[in-house]
Amino acid sequence: MARKTFCGSLAHAMDRRAFLGGAAAAGATLAADMTALNALAAPDVNKSLKKAQKRVILLWLAGGASQLETWDPKPGAPTGGPFRSIQTDVPGLRISELMPKMATRMKTTCVIRGLNTKNGDHGSAAETIMRGRRDEAALRYPDLGAVVAREMGLPDSKVPDYVTFYTQTEGRGMAPGNAGFLGARYAPMELTTNNYPEHIKRLDGITDRDHIERGQLRDLLGKQFAQGRSSETMNSQTEAYQRVRGIMASEKLFDVSQEPQKVRDRYGPTQFAEQVLIARRLVEAGVPFVRVGRAWWDSHGQNFETHQEMVPELDHVMATLIDDLFERGMLDDVMVLTLSEFGRTPAINASLGRDHFASAWSSTITGCGIKRGSVYGKTDPKGNTVTAEEVDAGSLFATIYSALGLDPNKNYYVGSRPIPLVNPGVEPIKALVG
Amino acid sequence: MRLRLLLTAAACTLAPCVIRAAEGPAASEPIEKVIDQLVDAAIADAGVTSAGRADDATLIRRLTLDLVGRIPTTGEVDAYVKSTDADKRAKLVDRLIASPGFVRHQAALFEVMLNPDGNGRGGALREYLTAALKENKPWDKMFTEMLLPDEGNAKLKGAADFLRGRLSDADKLTSDVSVAFFGVNVSCAQCHNHPHVKDWTQDHFYGMKAFLSRTFDNGGFLGERGYGVIKYKPTRGPERTAKMMFLTGATVEDANAKDPAPEEMKKEKEALEKAKAAKTPPPAPKFSARAKLVEVALKGENAEFFSRSIVNRMWHRFLGTGLVSPLDQMHAENAPSHPELLAWLARDTATNGYNLKRLVRGIVMSTAYSRSSRYESENRPGAKLFAVAKLKPMTPLQLSTSLKIAATDPASFNGLKPEEFEKRMEQIESSARGFAGLIAQPTDNFQIGVGEALLFSNGDRVLREVLTDGGGTALGRVKALTDPKEAAGFLIRTAYGRTATETETEALVAYVEKRKGREADAYKQILWALVTAPEFRFSY
Repeated sequence: MARKTFCGSLAHAMDRRAFLGGAAAAGATLAADMTALNALAAPDVNKSLKKAQKRVILLWLAGGASQLETWDPKPGAPTGGPFRSIQTDVPGLRISELMPKMATRMKTTCVIRGLNTKNGDHGSAAETIMRGRRDEAALRYPDLGAVVAREMGLPDSKVPDYVTFYTQTEGRGMAPGNAGFLGARYAPMELTTNNYPEHIKRLDGITDRDHIERGQLRDLLGKQFAQGRSSETMNSQTEAYQRVRGIMASEKLFDVSQEPQKVRDRYGPTQFAEQVLIARRLVEAGVPFVRVGRAWWDSHGQNFETHQEMVPELDHVMATLIDDLFERGMLDDVMVLTLSEFGRTPAINASLGRDHFASAWSSTITGCGIKRGSVYGKTDPKGNTVTAEEVDAGSLFATIYSALGLDPNKNYYVGSRPIPLVNPGVEPIKALVG
Repeated sequence: MRLRLLLTAAACTLAPCVIRAAEGPAASEPIEKVIDQLVDAAIADAGVTSAGRADDATLIRRLTLDLVGRIPTTGEVDAYVKSTDADKRAKLVDRLIASPGFVRHQAALFEVMLNPDGNGRGGALREYLTAALKENKPWDKMFTEMLLPDEGNAKLKGAADFLRGRLSDADKLTSDVSVAFFGVNVSCAQCHNHPHVKDWTQDHFYGMKAFLSRTFDNGGFLGERGYGVIKYKPTRGPERTAKMMFLTGATVEDANAKDPAPEEMKKEKEALEKAKAAKTPPPAPKFSARAKLVEVALKGENAEFFSRSIVNRMWHRFLGTGLVSPLDQMHAENAPSHPELLAWLARDTATNGYNLKRLVRGIVMSTAYSRSSRYESENRPGAKLFAVAKLKPMTPLQLSTSLKIAATDPASFNGLKPEEFEKRMEQIESSARGFAGLIAQPTDNFQIGVGEALLFSNGDRVLREVLTDGGGTALGRVKALTDPKEAAGFLIRTAYGRTATETETEALVAYVEKRKGREADAYKQILWALVTAPEFRFSY
């Protein structure tokens, strides 16, 4: 299937580090006579090219969406609430009636119903679900976006590596994107006030030509200074300034008015829908990781009214995104995730709300190497506990990494200390990554 | 080359090293002399040539950034470079260490060291650190005051913030105390004996936790129970009760481990409630586990963890690389690059009353500190040899303050009395705090992100706060100069504190000449290029 890339350059779509590694393995002849064509013909290189195409869109349901009103309904149970369940296009799989559109698209998706992440505190749970583990005293782990940015991003990329939309206020402070020990190079571009990144536009006080030429002057000064000096941090600064013009040129990706009206109508008029559409534009242009935060899921009171309003929007936007990616031939390369800090209690409180609940909740993974049309994990009839195929944050992350083609045991080094992508001994769910 | 290196390394395992170790530098030697003797010996053993001395302009820039947290003014540079006083470096160092900027800058660095997560927690700890550093309080005293805070004393109350910020999580408190004061990260041993480091077992983690887990919040004051045990399940075998145990394995007997009788409990509760109501610190327990930790940690050979850790951290602060790296991995399987030097400095610091100013002075007076960061020939020596100076990215406040100084007309500093000058620097620093908040705090292996480059490229704060040309600014001054060559030289001097090279002058003059009729814009862009280039961003 033909796939549009932002600038049309083949080199652009390659992970240069992986590419060079692959080329070395394929032998010196190939490295010496490298054209785009024979690079594609070499199996190792082809594999790294495939890996480089992987992208992630995370739909972050801030505050904690209810599994009972979405992916794991318990109609008829005392904890079930007023909504029914409906049959999906996967035999035997039923989801909430609030999600009719996803019900006809569950063949694309994997539902994980047995999440037990133990932590019901917004702040630290958000960190755990963003990073797959809890920080250590002296070690802050990078979150999923930063890892994907690091693994899939290109050193000279013209687009950002990691973008977070978090314009709604609730919970923003609880779940800021964080590059942890990977450092500011992989920190997200945070969009918290509108859909345009900060500092992406040239200020009126300087012409485009002067903007470019003062950059060249800076480079000249930098080169002179760098003679006889060596520093990784200095290299990262040079790299950061080299990317400025490219990132500025990616400004139009954030401009939703560049999309045909038909496409905008299809996603819908809400802010969440617009940001998800922008996310699609970004991943199509090569941005490895985009998170779209949608707030107000923290339904301690009036849980059912809240979900009656929010779930259909999620259903519509998620279904549209999946269709759009499928039609563009991108569903093998773009993963769509739904995650929250946690789910919500089966018990319904006096305010007709549900409280924080981390011991038996659900999430979904669509696309990339994940087994489609599958359900993993079971909960008891009231939804209080996981009865089979329990999953914690660590194995969820190992599964995501594996589906993206990343080895969860791959080490990063903090000084001389090896730090694997997931904690030692944590395994991906084999049934879901095939 | 490599072969020669191997041969020298092999030779070193035999006679010469042993002899040197036996002789060892005497305790009475000046710190800087010992540093140079031992660093130079390692450089000679490695068979490499070290970089030459940094020139005066570079050295005053480095010292001013490291000691008081800003670039020097052109006046300061000129005075230093022109001075023929054989003692000028020592005089500069003493002036900087004695200045209020030293206290402010070091307090900011200590705050980051103690709260690396960046939780400012209202600035009480910073206030405490500032006051303590101002009177050059010994480091062991500061440690004691932070772990055994006297909350009844308004002047010392801020020291309680270190514990207070960590009360909700005794595991984190345990790890953070071990990392911050002893350079040891035992958190790996929380769930199992450390997989790679034999030194650290679960007994160490829970042994340290047993000292700290009795601390709690009592109505905004720290309280400590005189009883309570920590139990944990080892990876093998039955559940255990943790003994209070320091990192060396030294244990403390706790006669009152058992919970007291119900009546005593009731009494204790009443006393706590009473303190709460009176808004006073609760009574200290008869047996304070935390006090025992402080006592055992500073006693005899146990204190080596404490003294080695602070020495390593200060070395890292000024040389950019620790003698042990990473800073929280001081254990048998991660040997120091210069064991003898670390041991000597730790001993010297402990026997001289943990005098931080004395230690800092010794480090920055060494030749090792004053080497150039340039190494022209190939085979650049590794960072751990300290044969070449390391580039250090500025901290947010260093960068932000330095930007303001570079943007100021240097003439406006002329003729200020020393106290007026200091006052001015304090004002500049405090006005720089807002912008500093937009810049990331550097760590080891720091990577500068595109966010910073975008901020400097397109942020209007940079335009408003740095690239302005009103009265009293460097750009305002440039407007009055008619010769582009002179203007270029002037801007290089305000930003870099040195004379321009020919290549630079040519490039800058060409840039201006291409913009005839709008020179003011051109100079703004030149200043932008100067302050975004690595020569400004780093201490070098």
